[in-house]
Amino acid sequence: MRRALVLGSRVALGAIFLWAAATKVPDMAGFAKDVANYRLLPPALVPSVAAIVVGIEVVAGLALVSGVGARAAALVAGGMLVAFVGGLSQALLRGIDLRCGCFGGDEAATWGTVARDLVLLVPAAVVLWVSPGRGEPDATKLEHLDASAAKR
Amino acid sequence: MRTLFQALVLSAAGAVLGLAGNRLTPQPARLGEPLVAAADAPGAMCQLAGGRLPVAPRISVEEAAPLCVACSALFVDARSAAEYAAGHITGALHLSPGEAPDPVLWRLGAYHTIVVYDRDPSCAQADQVAKLLLERGVQDVRVLTGAWPAWAAAGAPEASGPCAACGAHPQGGPP
Repeated sequence: MRRALVLGSRVALGAIFLWAAATKVPDMAGFAKDVANYRLLPPALVPSVAAIVVGIEVVAGLALVSGVGARAAALVAGGMLVAFVGGLSQALLRGIDLRCGCFGGDEAATWGTVARDLVLLVPAAVVLWVSPGRGEPDATKLEHLDASAAKR
Repeated sequence: MRTLFQALVLSAAGAVLGLAGNRLTPQPARLGEPLVAAADAPGAMCQLAGGRLPVAPRISVEEAAPLCVACSALFVDARSAAEYAAGHITGALHLSPGEAPDPVLWRLGAYHTIVVYDRDPSCAQADQVAKLLLERGVQDVRVLTGAWPAWAAAGAPEASGPCAACGAHPQGGPP
């Protein structure tokens, strides 16, 4: 049950991150404009940060879906989601009217978007705190050890 | 601690991938070039004016001018007929917010992108016309940021006189 929960959480979260990156790749310049509209970064850093965000989404998504370094990827994904929540919230509180840039397109940034990112923190937390590896051996390693023992 | 270290490695790998892969994308971000918020860009007041969401995506004069020269976009003038006659973007159709767009819809279908503009940086009239066109099923409708004043100031192609191409299709239907 616990393994199924972790598996479902990491695959779903990873797929969402990969999808988010895939929607941005066709128009990186447009995504950079969306990032600029948050008015959080010095203009000189905006294009680079936009590119870095998409790159991290790809790497974290792949790690989560494949299960390689999943807990670390969940930590990265969680950190990004917290940053997104902070960025969106400050824009909304300051009355900045903008596209969220979350999944490409023209989706407006709203408190619903903030809520969605907060919900996505749940699978990240599940992978980070419920998955094997936190104070106990990884299940895959146990299986590997069992196989090695059987060979002997 | 190990997870934190792995997370840092993943982040670094993502950063390298993002920066290196950006140039391979169809429309890469211009790394190293400062990028300001749309509301701070010249002629971009209509992007966010009045706390309303834009009806249609915006397009700048810099982006739109090549489309005019290459005839890959059709421009629609949402100002008055008198203003249109005094000067308009070369090849633009005239369509005021109060007019029914049906007589000119057949012309719009021949173009991938439709760019609507008016006289006012608030883009209110252009937004109304853009909304009409979107409701009639026109797919890629954009509103010109900075409106006619920005276009004229940029020295982009313009013409004058009444709209000769604004009538209904000669055969009464689409070509």
